[in-house]
Amino acid sequence: MSISQATLSDRTEGGIGSEFWRGMRSCTPVLLGIVPYALVLGAQAAQKGLSPVEVPLMTGLNFAGGSEFAAIQLWTSPPHVLLIVAITFLVNSRHLLMGAALAPFLRHLPRRKVFPALFLMCDESWALGLADARKRAAAGIGPAFSLPYYAGASIPFYLAWVVFTGLGAALGPVLGDVEAYGFDMAFPAVFLVLLAGMWKGVAAARPWLVSLVVAALVYLLVPGAWYVAAGALSGLVAAYFLAGDA
Amino acid sequence: MIDPVNLLAIVLMASVTYLTRIGGYVILRNRTLSPRATAVMEAAPGCVLISVIAPDFVSDNPADLAALAITVLAATRLSMLPTVIVAIASAGVLRHLIG
Repeated sequence: MSISQATLSDRTEGGIGSEFWRGMRSCTPVLLGIVPYALVLGAQAAQKGLSPVEVPLMTGLNFAGGSEFAAIQLWTSPPHVLLIVAITFLVNSRHLLMGAALAPFLRHLPRRKVFPALFLMCDESWALGLADARKRAAAGIGPAFSLPYYAGASIPFYLAWVVFTGLGAALGPVLGDVEAYGFDMAFPAVFLVLLAGMWKGVAAARPWLVSLVVAALVYLLVPGAWYVAAGALSGLVAAYFLAGDA
Repeated sequence: MIDPVNLLAIVLMASVTYLTRIGGYVILRNRTLSPRATAVMEAAPGCVLISVIAPDFVSDNPADLAALAITVLAATRLSMLPTVIVAIASAGVLRHLIG
């Protein structure tokens, strides 16, 4: 690091507290957006028979919304444990790529800090942390990845997720049957918005179409929740073969 | 209020999720994935999500299908919260009108 960079870093690198606040400020808009999403998940989980203790336990230990929505959709009493775990892994396999992308920015941190930090890595905190690290690297601020900023961006998010999913589970039964009002349509809506966010053009979405068609056919023809595994796997096989002509 | 099988499912879910979070850092840190492996991993979350909601696309209720079509349009144009509101409102109204 050159002297000018060191000076810049002395000047711009705030204390841990101010970095934490900077992170909190940048995650506030996202925070407001997840509250209804968390309430809907909690309410739907309660309808599937999960208690107001089990719901925050799940969202607090797992902390990965997409996989929780998928798991709740498939939840039965008792649940098909292996199916739910396999689906959770498939939905969250993107974390592998996210962690690999973040890894070069984490070299200055000891593992005892990296491992807890990665527990809080979700789509939102990852995007904020990585964007901030790239911006700081371009500005010559070192270290590029600010752990207190990342903590400020992810801890409120974590707390809000656990609290509002728990609240949704407690309030859900009071609201009654969510289907009567059309609230169940919130599920496909959430999934479709997530899919739109992952959209990278028609070519990249071809495996999704394969998944949709296979899952729909299996759903119509085979009883049980096999349609999810069948649809997901056929999509992955399609992705594998379609990648060849890219 | 904790069912043992539910607890088992939750703990195993949380374990595989945490493995995906540290796995990229621990294993893929110093490796480059083949384009094929990258394509499969990038497609995976979308394939799962669309499979989970596939039954909604073959619903036998015309009101639900119409609401789903409106929701698809909304999802491509709006952010999370407005899309969810449009979806709930269209399903609620259409079920009363057609359902």
